[in-house]
Amino acid sequence: MAKTYDYLFKLLLIGDSGVGKTCILFRFSEDAFNTTFISTIGIDFKIRTIELDNKKIKLQIWDTAGQERFRTITTAYYRGAMGIMLVYDITQEKSFENIKNWIRNIEENAAADVEKMLLGNKCELNDKRQVSKERGEQLAIEYGIKFMETSAKASINVEEAFLTLASDIKAKTEKRMEANNPPKGGHQLKLTEIRTKDSWLSRCSLL
Amino acid sequence: MTDESNFAEQILNDKNKTNVRCQFCNSLMLKAKEGTYAEQEIDVPLMVQKKDSKADALNTEALHHFWLVEDMMSFENIGFSHTVDGRKFLVCADCERGPVGYHELASKRCYLALKRVVHADA
Repeated sequence: MAKTYDYLFKLLLIGDSGVGKTCILFRFSEDAFNTTFISTIGIDFKIRTIELDNKKIKLQIWDTAGQERFRTITTAYYRGAMGIMLVYDITQEKSFENIKNWIRNIEENAAADVEKMLLGNKCELNDKRQVSKERGEQLAIEYGIKFMETSAKASINVEEAFLTLASDIKAKTEKRMEANNPPKGGHQLKLTEIRTKDSWLSRCSLL
Repeated sequence: MTDESNFAEQILNDKNKTNVRCQFCNSLMLKAKEGTYAEQEIDVPLMVQKKDSKADALNTEALHHFWLVEDMMSFENIGFSHTVDGRKFLVCADCERGPVGYHELASKRCYLALKRVVHADA
């Protein structure tokens, strides 16, 4: 059967425990109705479909499921990953300092060309802020990656962050494809239009 | 949920005639014609467990009618639970209610239970 999508990207969420990674991806068990079988065993990954420039993109998004507590995120987890969201908590200095360790871990275990993005989560908690936005921006510049402050709780920038990462992976993939097969006609892809049907990525139950 | 008496009208040339959605939040799970009708008897945990039930006394029901999805990437939006006895359970990617079916690790197939979803294009 013919594929019904143009691209498939595997994305990972990486960062210290408690920075809100799970909240970025999963609603999880706070809802009254969800004291069920599923909340007991937990969710491993999700498949999401988005559209960028009329291309259908499947995202397979993985959380570390607590592995990060032991600092033993293994090569197996990184295998095939094309994009990584590095997440820290703007109210936890330590989680920001640890981003450097996570980047080292990624360099040791993930593919060299994996697309990375830095997220300062919990930006709704401005009164408890320990890490300024400028420091986040500066670190991202240092590593040559994109940066956004997000709030999974207040639905700020989460969806935008995923669309940005997906769009960057797509651009990289298309560039590589063009290098391998130069286009015969004048058919160029423009990365101008970013859209999605639902605001699925910004949902969180911890409200 | 979809009533068993309505299953027959959801099938067209062995495929799902319409889109398949979450019965609670209407999230689009599977587009029309992406699933193949399959019958088998499988015990699947209930979506709501009794309050006094323990992990070793899981409330299940036997389900018989499924949409077989060979490639998990055929789904539009879906969540996969952690593995239990060689299977992952399927849940709504948006509201996370489920199981709405299961994924068999050995065969890599996914089975979406007709009874636990709704069939509607919009």
